[in-house]
Amino acid sequence: MQLFQTESAEQMLAKRGIAVSPGVVIGSALVLGTEDFRIPQRFVSVDAVESEITRLHTALDSASAEIEENEQLASEQLGKQYGAIFGAHLQLARDPQLIEEIETLIREKSYSPEFASSRVLRRYAKVVQNLGNHYLAERATDIFDLEKRILRHLLGIEREELTHLTAPVIVLAHNLTPSETAGLDKVHVLGFATEVGGHTSHTAILAGALEIPAVVGIGNFLSDVSGGETIIIDGHSGEIIIDPDEPTLEKYHDTEEQDRSVNARLASLRPLRSETKDETRIQLMGNIEFPEEVDHCTERGADGVGLYRTEFLYLNRSHVPTEEDHYEAYCRVVSAFDDRPVVIRTIDLGADKIPGTLDHINWEGTNPALGLRSIRVSLQDLELFKTQLRAILRAAKHGDVRIMFPLIATLMEFRQAKMILAEVIEDLEEQGIPFNKDVAAGMMVEVPSAAILADAFAAEVDFFSIGTNDLIQYTLAADRSDPELANLYRAGDPSILRLLRTVIEAGQKHDIPVTVCGQMSSDPKFIPVLVGMGIRQMSVTPHVIPELKEVIRNMTVGQAEEIAAHAQKLEMARDVENYLRGELKKIVPG
Amino acid sequence: MRQSVNVNNENGLHLVPCSRIAQRAARFQCDVQIHKENRSVDAKSILDLMTLNAEHGTTLILEARGDGAAEAILEIVRLFESNFQEDDDQST
Repeated sequence: MQLFQTESAEQMLAKRGIAVSPGVVIGSALVLGTEDFRIPQRFVSVDAVESEITRLHTALDSASAEIEENEQLASEQLGKQYGAIFGAHLQLARDPQLIEEIETLIREKSYSPEFASSRVLRRYAKVVQNLGNHYLAERATDIFDLEKRILRHLLGIEREELTHLTAPVIVLAHNLTPSETAGLDKVHVLGFATEVGGHTSHTAILAGALEIPAVVGIGNFLSDVSGGETIIIDGHSGEIIIDPDEPTLEKYHDTEEQDRSVNARLASLRPLRSETKDETRIQLMGNIEFPEEVDHCTERGADGVGLYRTEFLYLNRSHVPTEEDHYEAYCRVVSAFDDRPVVIRTIDLGADKIPGTLDHINWEGTNPALGLRSIRVSLQDLELFKTQLRAILRAAKHGDVRIMFPLIATLMEFRQAKMILAEVIEDLEEQGIPFNKDVAAGMMVEVPSAAILADAFAAEVDFFSIGTNDLIQYTLAADRSDPELANLYRAGDPSILRLLRTVIEAGQKHDIPVTVCGQMSSDPKFIPVLVGMGIRQMSVTPHVIPELKEVIRNMTVGQAEEIAAHAQKLEMARDVENYLRGELKKIVPG
Repeated sequence: MRQSVNVNNENGLHLVPCSRIAQRAARFQCDVQIHKENRSVDAKSILDLMTLNAEHGTTLILEARGDGAAEAILEIVRLFESNFQEDDDQST
């Protein structure tokens, strides 16, 4: 029997995931992971059909020959039962029905052998996955393996690497590692979608950083897609559409248009200063993770970098980054900003995530958020810490660099960090290495203990930067990545506003700058309350700068103060946020 | 010609058993079908066989038509009876 009617299977399919980077994009799929090959063309000309079928058979023959070799090797070296697996692969490659279906698609629909093979095999894989038999479902992997093999023979041996793209694609993968994401070629990668991942995954942060539309956490969908198929990624709603029909395509083309016009309006704000109607300057800086992101900040007229996360230097590496690795990365950022500030945060990772770190310590933390991470790691692994501090001080020679220590919970920790900084300064001096010793050293306020004692800290630090993400998580004991707790994890919670006020007042009393970084300050509705409470600088996701600037330019400080006063009287997070949403609408209608 | 067989191996007709059936069936000219309830698949297609989702304890009906039908059925039944362990042999 013929499993698939070639016509009826041509159906549009929509999947939903988590939107992590806005924008709408339409393009052709490049499926990674189960398929490392890009299908260069979906169709062949009608008169090429016969020669394409010959090409298919040549590829199948060489794939079979290769499998036979594997079968023999496996039988001899591992045992007959392993050989049998390849025996089965050989049967797959010679399956008469499979071949007939592929040929039919080439003949009747002028599909290229690559596209046809991929489609037919993926549909089989999907059927097998959906039989409700978990043992058989795992065999889908064998089908994907064959797909890969056939494609490799059809395309020649060259693997299409992400870094060698020549045409625009939408990348679809089970997962992208941070380094893969970072390496995405922005010219050719229009957007991406992955099966796993959440809001706060590195992939997500990176997608925002690269400013390409992206949806993560979709769940299994790769078996529904063939390379070369048309895909729409809606980075606003988190929807992806596979093989869209005409009306859908049209609708999304319109959305693409609208996006462009909104972006054009916001771009016009770029040369304007970020100040309120009554001319109070509110500095908007960018949060970045990669040196490449400096452009996103400068393009939008950012007043500097308020949070430069340095974790990427440690992730996906087999070795601990050297001083030069750090130095080079920092210099790239610093040199782009001339005299505007660049606040470099020392590593904010758990010991388990840093290669080669603290190998001697048996790391058994069961609760990573409350475990050995961030400044705690730095203070235990002094070599790691000093390497980073040296690089920061050296880079500070080239611009306005400031050091920020994350996750400070006690005064003792801050003093220790400062002491080590002083040692590093001494070392550099002795070694005669050029550096800048007058670098401001501040701290993140993200542990409630630090917020409560802000007054004591303010006497010793050069600046505060309130990291709302962790502050909310620790104050309300709610994991921000747990969707079940979304009602608890709220920036508008009265306890958070109270802590913010404590920190801001301490800063004012000791005359040190207080910045808010973290997602809260990237959300337009919180801008009036933050400004009203006395915040004059924020560090935000670069792409929201124009939008926030629009809010700032449409309000007065007096207005913001009234909003802040009212918001602080409300008892419930929900009420605070509803109120702020309403006020935002009055400030920026539409 | 038709004959019923039972799936006795623990994991049912998974990849390797399906491949053995397809391999065996392919040696014959005749058309070989395997029926399970109201579905039937081509015994020469491993992919088709897998979609039958025949688990341990299922009863299937073999049906062959054409040259060598009787012999084909005999050989495939023998495969089932040996729980696909049978050491084969002169296959390609």
